[in-house]
Amino acid sequence: MSSPVLAARGIRKDFVLKGRGKNGEERRLAVLHGIDLALQPGERLALVGSSGAGKSTLLHILGLLDRPSAGEVEIEGRPGWQLPLAERAALRNHRIGFVFQFYHLLPELSALENVQLPAMIAESRLAFGAKRRELRARAEALLEGFGLKERLHHRPAQLSGGERQRVAMARALFLDPLVLLADEPTGNLDSKTGELVLELLLAEQQRRQLSMILVTHDDRIAQRCDRILTMKDGRVEAESVGVRK
Amino acid sequence: MFRTFLSWRYLVSRPTNLIGITGILVGVGALILILSIMTGFLEESRRAMRGTLADLILKPFQGEHGEGVVTKDPAGLLAAVRADPRVAAATPELVWGGVITQRERGEMYERILSDQNYSGMLVTQLVGIDVDGLARVAWPFTRLAARAVGGYLPRWDLQDELDSTAFLRSLVGDEPGQPWTAAAPPPLFPFVPRSAQSGRPRAGLLVGEQLYADLDLRVGETLEIGTVVRDPVSGEWRMNNREFVITGTFRTRDNETDQGRIYVDRRELSDFLGRTHQYSQVLVRLHDYERDKVATTTDLRRGLAASGLIRGDFEGRSEVRTWEEFRGNLLGAIENERVLMGIMLSLVLVVAGFTIFAILSMMVTEKRRDIGILTALGATPAGVQQMFLMIAFWDALLGAFLGAMLGVWGALEIDGIERWLSRTFGVQIFNRDVYLFDHIPSVVQPLWVATIVLGAFVCALVFAAIPAWRAARMDPLEALRYE
Repeated sequence: MSSPVLAARGIRKDFVLKGRGKNGEERRLAVLHGIDLALQPGERLALVGSSGAGKSTLLHILGLLDRPSAGEVEIEGRPGWQLPLAERAALRNHRIGFVFQFYHLLPELSALENVQLPAMIAESRLAFGAKRRELRARAEALLEGFGLKERLHHRPAQLSGGERQRVAMARALFLDPLVLLADEPTGNLDSKTGELVLELLLAEQQRRQLSMILVTHDDRIAQRCDRILTMKDGRVEAESVGVRK
Repeated sequence: MFRTFLSWRYLVSRPTNLIGITGILVGVGALILILSIMTGFLEESRRAMRGTLADLILKPFQGEHGEGVVTKDPAGLLAAVRADPRVAAATPELVWGGVITQRERGEMYERILSDQNYSGMLVTQLVGIDVDGLARVAWPFTRLAARAVGGYLPRWDLQDELDSTAFLRSLVGDEPGQPWTAAAPPPLFPFVPRSAQSGRPRAGLLVGEQLYADLDLRVGETLEIGTVVRDPVSGEWRMNNREFVITGTFRTRDNETDQGRIYVDRRELSDFLGRTHQYSQVLVRLHDYERDKVATTTDLRRGLAASGLIRGDFEGRSEVRTWEEFRGNLLGAIENERVLMGIMLSLVLVVAGFTIFAILSMMVTEKRRDIGILTALGATPAGVQQMFLMIAFWDALLGAFLGAMLGVWGALEIDGIERWLSRTFGVQIFNRDVYLFDHIPSVVQPLWVATIVLGAFVCALVFAAIPAWRAARMDPLEALRYE
């Protein structure tokens, strides 16, 4: 078995609550109780569980957005949370692609500009200027591949939910990440549109041989992954094998 | 690169930012405009204060009796001064007091003399100059401002402008050294002066415009001047009277000078004084006053004293002084005032800074989600911070640039703008009668403009630092978790 692209060891997350306990100690609420996880190259992993099970929190920790109270996340063997801030940001930028439930596009930018945002963040002004045509062409190709050829210059507000999510997917894929982290990507879409978006996402993951973690509460979606981790109260309760299609 | 791109995009997509830009624009513009006008007023006052003073004034103590007799002929002194390579020109000047009388207006003059409010009006300072010499030596504006009258016009400010020097020369011919006597009507004169009609040719004189207007004088009229001179032999004081003819007026913008000074040819005045005095001071103009003033003054003091042309320091007062030494205290006061004004006006920029602070604070709160997204996509907190600082930078760039252009334009065109405003709204904004200037003076100093623009940048960035810092410290997740 090859080494995992992304590995988590003993991830804990506590939230410090307001006020003090009876004996004056800090009151903590444990959200994650030591989670271990390894994501193989090209693997499609589903995280399921009821609300409040800690799926999203785990995903954010794996995506180096939320610092765990304990444990470490390794991406390509590098300990993400021990790296200096700038390197961690660069890792997020280059290695991880996020797809959120609420799309999270910048309302001031057109679809095309939103897609290029990761490159804008990564590159200096000069470097970006030098590669401008190339980057633009790539963003256009991505969006066209997602059937948004007519929507390149539309602002998010002018797009439908499904279109917005497709733009968000193009953005996540723009810098060819290793890992795709999707947090209920179809959760905010009607079933028909959701279906369409999901198909696109899965097809793209398949084609690019990306590793993907998909947070969902839809069992049918989970079943299309290689592995399904069921979470409950901050623990992985069950692991099952899906039927990848 | 997202910093530049996004900050600009945020700037243009948020009309609120216009307020910040406008704030800086108004601040910078007003600061430049007002400081330029202030500087203009100050320089004008400085010039007025300088009056007709030359760069250096050489006033030997001409002892008549006893010790340290200094020559009464300025020729030696002039030659010595002119030998200095730093000296551009030097001319002698003879100053004496006099009283104006006029036979035709006896009653009016009696009234003036008996009225306390009019006291001093008829007492004037007679200044004997070598026409060409003075024009070169004194502050250049004297030459420009000295105007001669072209005819019988009731108000002096309506009279044609003429260079008095040229005018006087046309009156007396080109020959240097010849006194300004009105012997024959000049080609420019539309009438024949009465004084030239008969008898001995009278010397011409130039009257200050204020005096000219106050006494309702006319060019070509005869003016009788009385004075007292001490008899060199007996030591007695004697009254002398002589008739002169008014050949023109001059204007220095210094009220006292314009009201109390009369220019005459130096030799003519000396003759009037019974040839007891030839000059009272020598005016010196330097090639580069600012550079050479100290060195030249020192050298002249030493050199002239050594050769016996002046007596050297006498009762603690020097005989060679710069014009600033003449008016030292007032100059310092003016400089103080300007610095104070600059400090007070800088508060305008601080207000603009507060506007930017408010707008950016609002924006950081509003852009919470965007900050989260950018962080998720790999932006560092420092990058986010810089992005918000960039917005302030654009504010400052646009505001300061446009403001500087507007301010400089306004300062250069203030006179026309004021006239237009006055005409359009029928309110007189700048009362030209109150001041001695017939225009609103303004001087644009590039260094000040640059300083103000720089100040605007510093102000904008300092005030933007707090909201930008807040943006950097924001928890990206809180923004991302909810829609």
